[in-house]
Amino acid sequence: MRAEASAVTAPAVELDLDLDVFDGPFDLLVTLILRDEIDIWEVRVSRIIAEYVLRLADSGEFDLDATSQFVVLVAALLEMKSRLLLEDEVEDELEDLDPDEAARQLLERLVRYGQFRNAAAMLRGRWADHAAALYRSAPIPPALLRRPDPEALLPQRALVDALAPLLREPPVPDTSHLADLAVSVVRELRRLRRLLDDGGRFTFGAVAPKGRLERAVTFFALLELHASGEARLRQTRHFGEIEVTRCLQPAVAG
Amino acid sequence: MDDLSRRLEALLYIAPRPVPAADLAASCEGDEADVARALGELAEEYAEGRHGLRLREVAGGFTFAVADDCADTVRRHTGLERPEDLSPALLETLSVVAYLEPVTRADVAEVRGVSSEWTLAGLQERGLVEERGRAATPGAPILYATTERLLKLFGLRSRDELPPLEEFALEAGEVEEIRARLLGNAARRRA
Repeated sequence: MRAEASAVTAPAVELDLDLDVFDGPFDLLVTLILRDEIDIWEVRVSRIIAEYVLRLADSGEFDLDATSQFVVLVAALLEMKSRLLLEDEVEDELEDLDPDEAARQLLERLVRYGQFRNAAAMLRGRWADHAAALYRSAPIPPALLRRPDPEALLPQRALVDALAPLLREPPVPDTSHLADLAVSVVRELRRLRRLLDDGGRFTFGAVAPKGRLERAVTFFALLELHASGEARLRQTRHFGEIEVTRCLQPAVAG
Repeated sequence: MDDLSRRLEALLYIAPRPVPAADLAASCEGDEADVARALGELAEEYAEGRHGLRLREVAGGFTFAVADDCADTVRRHTGLERPEDLSPALLETLSVVAYLEPVTRADVAEVRGVSSEWTLAGLQERGLVEERGRAATPGAPILYATTERLLKLFGLRSRDELPPLEEFALEAGEVEEIRARLLGNAARRRA
């Protein structure tokens, strides 16, 4: 219990600082400020916070207790500092901030707080002894529930009937109306070459498939045959039939 | 065991929560002194090491609890886990609520010197603290109080079993030390 009480005055926050006026652990800085050996005017609290946030980010760990302690201490430092600022500017209202009175109030608060902190240590002990206990427990009887038990309202059969269609495997959807868009110029080329080999000639209209995309692919294949010199294309008028004939001596590529 | 002890055993077997001795006496149509004696006998029967259960007095009544050395087996079977330990901040907030209840969030913050919204929410989530109406002060803030679960988890018969807060007062030496430091600061500041 003594250790808990002394923790009120010296909590542990691990943070090494490198400030203009101070180089060392945060705890020491707080102690020195409390002893008035360092003037809080000189301390840039924002730097301390920045350092702490950086350290948190670097360590990748988040210790809630240590961080809470830190926040409490920094808040206290900020309050001290802002009070000092106020004292300077509001000279007339100094009565409220009489150092003796402030110290007395703070003492009262610390003493009161210390009590609860010690009581918390007692609770911790009891928790360690008792929290794992397993007591007899049972649900509240359905008759006493303010909201009626849904199972009582709904016959089991109805639930089964409602669930059954949901559990059944749905039929595989019919996708026959969706065109297979997988078309390949290479495959068309192969097909057209075979047609040329077999008959030596054909017309585009006779061999081209119905679909627009497939038709376009066939046309590309045709152009490919023309480019490589394997076939000769002839069209007598615009949008007329394209006649394809085999070249007996394909031109050498290049 | 005598007849009354056996009937008490049956009652405690069926009761879902701790049953106050007075209720047990009423159900058994016996007087409280007899029931107290019979409960003693029952506790003897369920003394440590005899059964998988113990008779416990907790949260304002009597109930059966799993014997400590059987708890792990029960946890394995039920999948129940040990309650997670409470952080110092949660314990501190809990001690304020337990000793001052019903309290508002502002009361707690005033004692601790820090905002206690998060810790109160944490205690509510763990079922240790619950909302208990609103204060009749401006703004009608929510009042918080401890739960029956708290009594069980801390092994308390009732809130009265908590030691008086005065027992936890800082010792004179500690107070003097703080006072000297604070007054010293104040004197230097004035100078």
